[in-house]
Parts: sequence; C-alpha cells; structure tokens
Amino acid sequence: MIHPGEGKAEQVEDLNDLYENAPCGYLSLNPRGLIVKSNATLSSWLGVPAEQLVGKRLRDLLNVAGSIFYETHFAPLLRMQGFFNEVALDLVTADGSVLPVLANAVEKRDADGALLFTRVTLFQATKRRRYERELVDAQAAERKLGKLRDQFIAVLGHDLRNPVAALNAGVQMLLKQPQSDRSLHVIGLMQGSLSRVAELIDNVMDLARSQSGGGIRLARDAKEPLAPVLRQVIEELEAAHPRCAIEAEIALGEPVDCDRRRIAQLVSNLLSNAITHGASGQPVRLHAGTTGGELQIWVANRGEPIPEEVMAHLFQPFFRGSTRSDQQGLGLGLHIASEIARAHGGSLDVQSVNEEVRFTFRMPLAAEAS
Amino acid sequence: MSVLSRNNVQISGAGDQPMMFAHGFGCDQNMWRFVAPAFEADYKVVLFDHVGAGRSDLSAYKADKYASLQGYADDVVEICRELGLSRVIFVGHSVSAMIGALASVKAPELFESLVMVGPSPRYIDDAGYNGGFSAAQIDELLHSLADNHMGWSASMAPAIMGNPDRPELAEELTDSFCRTDPDIAREFARVTFTSDNRADLPRIRARTLVLQCANDIIAAEQVGEYVHAQVPDSKLVYLEASGHCPNLSAPDEVIAAIRDFA
Repeated sequence: MIHPGEGKAEQVEDLNDLYENAPCGYLSLNPRGLIVKSNATLSSWLGVPAEQLVGKRLRDLLNVAGSIFYETHFAPLLRMQGFFNEVALDLVTADGSVLPVLANAVEKRDADGALLFTRVTLFQATKRRRYERELVDAQAAERKLGKLRDQFIAVLGHDLRNPVAALNAGVQMLLKQPQSDRSLHVIGLMQGSLSRVAELIDNVMDLARSQSGGGIRLARDAKEPLAPVLRQVIEELEAAHPRCAIEAEIALGEPVDCDRRRIAQLVSNLLSNAITHGASGQPVRLHAGTTGGELQIWVANRGEPIPEEVMAHLFQPFFRGSTRSDQQGLGLGLHIASEIARAHGGSLDVQSVNEEVRFTFRMPLAAEAS
Repeated sequence: MSVLSRNNVQISGAGDQPMMFAHGFGCDQNMWRFVAPAFEADYKVVLFDHVGAGRSDLSAYKADKYASLQGYADDVVEICRELGLSRVIFVGHSVSAMIGALASVKAPELFESLVMVGPSPRYIDDAGYNGGFSAAQIDELLHSLADNHMGWSASMAPAIMGNPDRPELAEELTDSFCRTDPDIAREFARVTFTSDNRADLPRIRARTLVLQCANDIIAAEQVGEYVHAQVPDSKLVYLEASGHCPNLSAPDEVIAAIRDFA
C-alpha cells in the first residue's frame, strides 16, 4: 500500500520557524529575570523588535498595576513551585494599547537545581477576558437584583399585613352590629377574601425567608398534641368554604416532634389547593396517622387527573397550572408546603390516579439528632 | 478565638531569643520557608499569617480594625504578649516592615531589632519624596483589583498545584500559598499602597537593618535610602538580589545579612 506523501522527501517540521512564528508568544528569562530571547510572534503583538526586548523584565511589558501584582503574587508563586499556569496578564504594546494574555511559565533548572532559564508562553486572551468580565458583571448584577428582590418581598409582605389587620378588625366590628342578611353575606365573602390575602402574604414572606436565609426555620415541640391544631385548620376552611365538605380521619397515636404552626400551614395549603382544584360537590378527604415511626398526612380530592408535565412543576414557586382564572393565587402554597416538609426532614409527594389527586406528607416522628 | 489560631502562629527552633517573621501583601508565612529554617538552631522562630492571608481565621477580619496598618501592628503586639516574648528580632517583608515599625513604636519594650526587607513608608510620590508611584498608578492598581480586571480572584486558587520536581513543597503549602480572600486582599492592597508612615520612622527605637534589593519596582533604592536616613539607629545593606522577594529568590543572601546584623 502506498500512503500519500510516501517516497517524497518529507518536510520535517522547521523548529526554528516553529519557535519564531508559533501561534503563541515565547519569552525566556535568565536567572536574574532579564529577557534573553523572545519570538517574532510576540514582537508582532507588542510592536517591539525582539532585540529591543532583550535585557527587559517581564514586568516591563505590563502596566503598573499588573507589574505590582506580578511581583507580589506570580513571581513568588513561580519561585516557590517552579511554574505557574493560566495567569492573566495585561501586556502594554508599543502604541500604548493593552493586550490581555494568559501566561504559563516554567523554570528550567540544571542537575544541581540551579536556575538556568524561566520559559514563558503567552496566549492572546482578549475575547476570553471580555467574556470573563461579562460573567463577573452578570454575577454582580444578579447578586444586586436578588438582594433587591428579597428586600422588596420582605418589605411588601410586612407592609401589607397592617392594612389587612385593620380590615379584619373593621369586619369584626361590623359583625357585632345588627346587619341585613345581604350585608352578612357580603361580610362573609369579605372575611374569606381577607383570610386568603393573609395566607398569600404568609406564603410570600416564607418564600422570601426560605430563598434568602436557607430554608424555613422551625420551632419544634414534641410535647403538645398535633390533632387539635389540625382540627382547627379544618374548621376554619369549612367556615370559609361552606359548600365544600372535608372528611377528616385523624388518628395520631404517638407524639410528633414538629413545628405545629408550620404543619397547620402545610395542611391548610394542601386543603386550600384541594378545595380550589377539586370537583365541586365532592368532599375533600384528609387522613392523619402515625405508623412505622413516621407521621403521614394525606389530602385527596376528586377531579381531573394532573398531566405528567404539570406534576413535574407543581412544587416550584410561582407555578400555576391551568386553574380557573377566578381562583388564581400566587402559586406559592404547594411550594411552601414542600419547603415545610423538607425543613422537617420529610417529603411531600403527589399521586394522580383514577380521578383522585392525593398529596402525601411524610416525616419522621422524632427529629434526627444533628 | 485565640490570638495564636487567629494568626496561625507557628513556633519552632531551639534558641531563646525570638525571631519573628512577617509576610507582606500577596502571600503568607510560606514566603519565609527558605529563610526561617536557617535560624532554628539559634533562635525561637515565630511565623504567622496576617488576618485575611494564608491559614489565618478569616472570620476575625474586621473592616474597621484593618482599615490601617495599625490594626495589623496591634496583632503583632498581641502575638508577642500572648507568647510572652521579649528582645524580639522582627523580620518584616514589604508592607510588614512598616507593620513591624508601628508595632515597635507601640510596644518598644518588646522589640530589640527590626529587619526591614524591601520597606516603603509611602508608595505614592509626594512633594520632595519619590515613592515610586503616582497616585494615578496606585488608583489603577486598586481599581483593577476592585474591578477584577486581572481575573485573579478566580484564577488564583486553582493556579496552585503540586509539583513533582519540588517535593519539599508540602501539600499544605500548595493549598494556601498566595490564596487570599479577594475582598480582604483588595482592602489590604488599599491599606498598603495608600499608607504613609514616614512620620513614624524617626520614632523607632529598635536597632534596624534595611535590606534593599536591586530593581525592586515596589520599593526602589531611593525609598530604602530614605528609610535608612529617617530611622535613628539603622543600617542599610544593598542586596545583589533583584526584585521584591529576595526571601524567595536569594534566601542565602538574606540569611547572611540577617546573621551579620543579629
């Protein structure tokens, strides 16, 4: 078989040309740090002939800031470990413009360990530097925006609570006075709306806290019973939604080491969700029990099955499925519920089988020793 | 947090008289690893990292305390007192030469002598004083650090790796040398390069050795000569070593000069 090129006198790589016109800059420094040799590529980048570079120092090719940094960081590093890699430097060219490069350097020593040369290769890095710069800027902008967003949410949540409390007080006052049936009906609707607003504010505040401070903080207590708290949540929701029945089965035989206020919030969020999305006229079912060392609470409603693609996003903040427009919330309830589950070392899962949607919360009865 | 762990203080050596080595802006106590061992036979060798550098306790960094070199000098005095040191020979590189000067002015009873390697009491030129840099150049340095122009905060940490040809570089060295928290390093640079300690020099009572390198862009010859002229009991020695880090590039020459003086 004959290979192309075989038989001809093959051109062996021209090493001198490789050095001079390599696609990178070469510099060699003597033990005193003076340039003794450099290649044509570097000369063309700098606009300085090679013979004028001889006797200069690497730092003479840098701007003042870069040379200080080189002397205080990279020169010691080179001396200490015998090399450096991927060091970002700014060369100053003959016309005063700045040429960003990445530099590698390695010391060449003789058998006795005496320094002979330091060899430096330089690669142009203008675009890479611009890209890094943009990344750094984008990071800084993102940090700033994130901080602003957290502050905004926290302040907003706080400032909304006061007028809601005032409205609640006003409604309570109206209820103490004689009212027509029609007024009582309207006041009932107002109460329902107010409790929803209060819930939304709580959720937004929790979101802000969990995003900025690493999770929801708990005040656990295993001594107090959980069942009365759950019953109270159910009563409140039944009062707010008189046309929806909640069938509850609560059998908590063992104490649960949990934050009861948070578990109540979780259950409230699950029940609200079930009432909002369940088929009208069908009861919402709740089961709470302790078995096998864990607390299990599930909430189920009849209704349309949840599509696969929606299931994947259910617990993300601000996710809203195709709900009826009059029922839209912020899409935080399930997210906060899953965060509360996580904070307790537990889980929140959803199953959609045979026209029943069931959310199941599980957590260990005792907190893991940390 | 004890003073000794705050500053990652390391003590070695068989002698009684303490010789304390302080690193400058940029790296950590490993700057002295080719010099300090030479004094272990005759001295109690004390090495430490300034807060913010090397393996110091970063959580001990307080912006207001370290807003001037005095904060670092106070740490030096605290370390000496914690260890019950006296007759200290303080060897300070670069900005630590001035930190040592401030410490010796604050607690003269602790320090017998100062060795200043590449000192500068002021980096920026002033009327009748040639510090080597214009205010604009130092501004450019600080701006480029603040702006991350050199991309160094990201590139520093991974730049340091093991070197099979230099087995004396222990793992803990490669892990920490030159690695500094970018925010702290930036502030340390500002404090260092905008400092003016010229007025403190005549107040130094300790006998002082100034080691001046050739071709030191950061502390040029006229600056070393200025320090020598201002410190009452001082001696100036010109090293053949060039650059700003003779403790790394010419340790034998530095060792000989310190021995000769101490």
